[in-house]
Amino acid sequence: MATPPLALKLTGIRKIFNGIAALDNVSLDVAAGSVHGILGENGAGKTTLMNIIAGLIRPDSGSMEVMGTSLPAGGVRASRARGIGMVHQHFKLVDNQSVLDNIVLAVSKSLWSRRPQTVLRDIEHWCHELKWTVDLQTPVGELGVGQQQRVEIIKALCGGGRILILDEPTAALTPAEVDELALAVAGLAKAGMTVLFISHKLHEVTQMCQVISILRRGKLVYSGGVADLSVEQIAEKMVGAKVDVPRLVQAQGNTKSHALLELESVDYRISKRTPLILKQIHLRVHPGEILGIAGVDGNGQSELAAVISGAVIATAGRIMRSGAANADAPAGSAYIPEDRHKEALVLALPIVANLLLRKYRQRPFVRWGFCRFGQWRGHATNLVRKYDIRCRDVDDAVGTLSGGNQQKVVLARELSDLPELILAVNPTRGLDVGATAFVLRQLLDARTRGAGVLLIHGDLDELLSVSDRVAVMSGGKLLETPWPHSTPEQIGRMMLGGA
Amino acid sequence: MMIRRLFQRMCNAATAVTLAVLVCGAVLTLAIGAAALLGYPPLRVAVLWLHGAAGSWYALSSSCADACPLLLTGLAAGVAFRAGVLNIGAQGQFLMGALVAVALSTRMMICHQPVLVIPLALIGGALAGGMWGLIAQYLERYRSVPVVLSTILLNFVALYLAEAALQGPLQAVGTAAAQSPEIAGKYWLPLFVAYTDFHIGIILALVLAVLLWVLQERTVFGFESQVVGLNPGTAKAMRMPVTWRQFQIMFISGGCAGLGGAIQVLGQVHFMTAHMGNYGYAGIAVALLGRLNPLGIIFSAGFFGFLDTGAFRVEESSLALPHDMANVIKAVVILVMLVLAGISLRRSRRVGNPGSSAPTETPSA
Repeated sequence: MATPPLALKLTGIRKIFNGIAALDNVSLDVAAGSVHGILGENGAGKTTLMNIIAGLIRPDSGSMEVMGTSLPAGGVRASRARGIGMVHQHFKLVDNQSVLDNIVLAVSKSLWSRRPQTVLRDIEHWCHELKWTVDLQTPVGELGVGQQQRVEIIKALCGGGRILILDEPTAALTPAEVDELALAVAGLAKAGMTVLFISHKLHEVTQMCQVISILRRGKLVYSGGVADLSVEQIAEKMVGAKVDVPRLVQAQGNTKSHALLELESVDYRISKRTPLILKQIHLRVHPGEILGIAGVDGNGQSELAAVISGAVIATAGRIMRSGAANADAPAGSAYIPEDRHKEALVLALPIVANLLLRKYRQRPFVRWGFCRFGQWRGHATNLVRKYDIRCRDVDDAVGTLSGGNQQKVVLARELSDLPELILAVNPTRGLDVGATAFVLRQLLDARTRGAGVLLIHGDLDELLSVSDRVAVMSGGKLLETPWPHSTPEQIGRMMLGGA
Repeated sequence: MMIRRLFQRMCNAATAVTLAVLVCGAVLTLAIGAAALLGYPPLRVAVLWLHGAAGSWYALSSSCADACPLLLTGLAAGVAFRAGVLNIGAQGQFLMGALVAVALSTRMMICHQPVLVIPLALIGGALAGGMWGLIAQYLERYRSVPVVLSTILLNFVALYLAEAALQGPLQAVGTAAAQSPEIAGKYWLPLFVAYTDFHIGIILALVLAVLLWVLQERTVFGFESQVVGLNPGTAKAMRMPVTWRQFQIMFISGGCAGLGGAIQVLGQVHFMTAHMGNYGYAGIAVALLGRLNPLGIIFSAGFFGFLDTGAFRVEESSLALPHDMANVIKAVVILVMLVLAGISLRRSRRVGNPGSSAPTETPSA
């Protein structure tokens, strides 16, 4: 059998950041027309490697070839001209411009050669090819995450992309959207595209890719057919040791005792003219249980979290904590928000400062209004050790940490004071297997010591594995499920609006 | 441990300053080299420049006196930018401060004891600047007008308000120009070295800079305002009083600029026109060059003052360097300094951040 031509050939790529090898002598062959999965933990070097291919980062050494001819390193334009298109995990779109304008902006070679007509033809061609419908006139900011991703993909294709890099494309998608994406990826491969698919969700990779490469701590540990390894073997290669996803031993709804958090007929709408986003929400969280809230993204989960955390005020209804009506979160409650960059961390500030964001006003961290940085450091150093936050120094900016370690900073700050009530929203989003297990174990530990946890989570498997009770958000309504006396399939149907 | 870290920080600041001074020298030579191209003897320009800016106690004092309002407007911009409050209105706040100070020391005197009049005028000027800033903050919070926009517009309101006042109730007797009467000598800011321009306003400004540094770097208030500036979302989620801090910061910022105006009229020019120099706008450059750090701003303001005074002396000298030429040299020097500062900033950032999502949350004007 003749070997298929190589779309991309990397040889001996090496990149050092701060004296730590982010990529160590990585060589990779990607066959043309294949869907190639890149797997690895957070901080394993996946994104760095992709940024090198896309020309955003210049490697310290190593060479690259595209379709048999060498590609100069460190040039975005050069990479793009050779047909490399990247869809970043955090989309690079202009929210207040229309879909068409976004694509035209990206595709135009210079300020003077904007040709909406030709671009329009390209867009229609690709939409047809992928069987997508995208409204070109809508401002991008009004689209859902899944639609925005489509815009990104079309943008890359219209820019002449023949080798598509999808960086964590499923991190923000609902299960249904993931399936659609899988179809699209298969369609792209059929149309002759090469797709590099980065993920740390094993089942997606095994489902979508023929070939996988696994990175661990900057080294390539495996590259080959996906069928040659079992899921367990892949996980082991990624993490380097066997992982056990934490699982609740025995579900026990503790509904008899008092409620730590109680919502009574809570409604929420943005303004009088907009429809209700939350409709008559009733829920109770008791000590020693995890109440899981499942649902397809965009059914009101974010708003529910915002109402409970106090970021917005409910339009109607009552929210009570430990029996007392109180809009503000008292000291004894923790909040792990959906977007840690927007609501939990200050990336430019050191780890110390981020770990103290809740307590900097308390003794002994303050005296006469002055910060006592010595005490801060002591406290932070303890937390860094206890929560195994991997960093060179507690004075490093949080922005220099990998996603998993950033989330550990949030957890360390929020959970170290043994809060009574924990509100967690998608706490494992974008995290690798090891970090996911760590986060879930922390929540289970909190439950075991008697805390009440409200877990709003998009990943149904994880949610079901740790929750005592499960409710489903659908169209702004909250429905209790008989879990654990029901199957995941039944819950899945409820998420889609069926009974 | 804390003392050691404090020391480290000071060392860092010190090396930065040394570097800046070295670079200044090099750049000044360069700029004067440019003058040479236009037919002026470069060596003489350099010597006159240095001599005019720092060649005698008097020269040094006028450099410092010129740096003083720049230091205060620089602090105004620096304090605000660090907290994410984009106050571009130091010019207007400076004018309002000067206007109130002149009023309180000429036509609207409550008493006639210098011990009371001077502090009253200074405090009045600072309050006026602060209040002028609060208008913009109010508009942003309750009327959704961005501070950047309203502060710029309020600069013009302040300018014409000052002109109206200086042609109306505050106009000097016997002139048609928009200018105030001269402030009586006993209400001038006292000098601490006789026969120079070293007035106590300079000391006041330096003390204020140090106090602001302590406030920013050592107190809970400073920490909170920094978090508010870098990430308002997180600040809100952490229950920080975001709006309240922004109002406070704006008041402090405007107060600095207003005090700058008051010190300038009481200590340096002793009467007022609506065109007292672009100290407010220059303050933004001063703050950026000083990396928004009050101690850094002391040095960048000093550098600006040194350049200004030197340029003035070269113009006045037998060489008669045209005013425009002096300005060009000044502008080139400042531009090169900002570029160098930008490069060093970028380098330090690159060292700090390996990830692709490097935080670039530095507020900019």
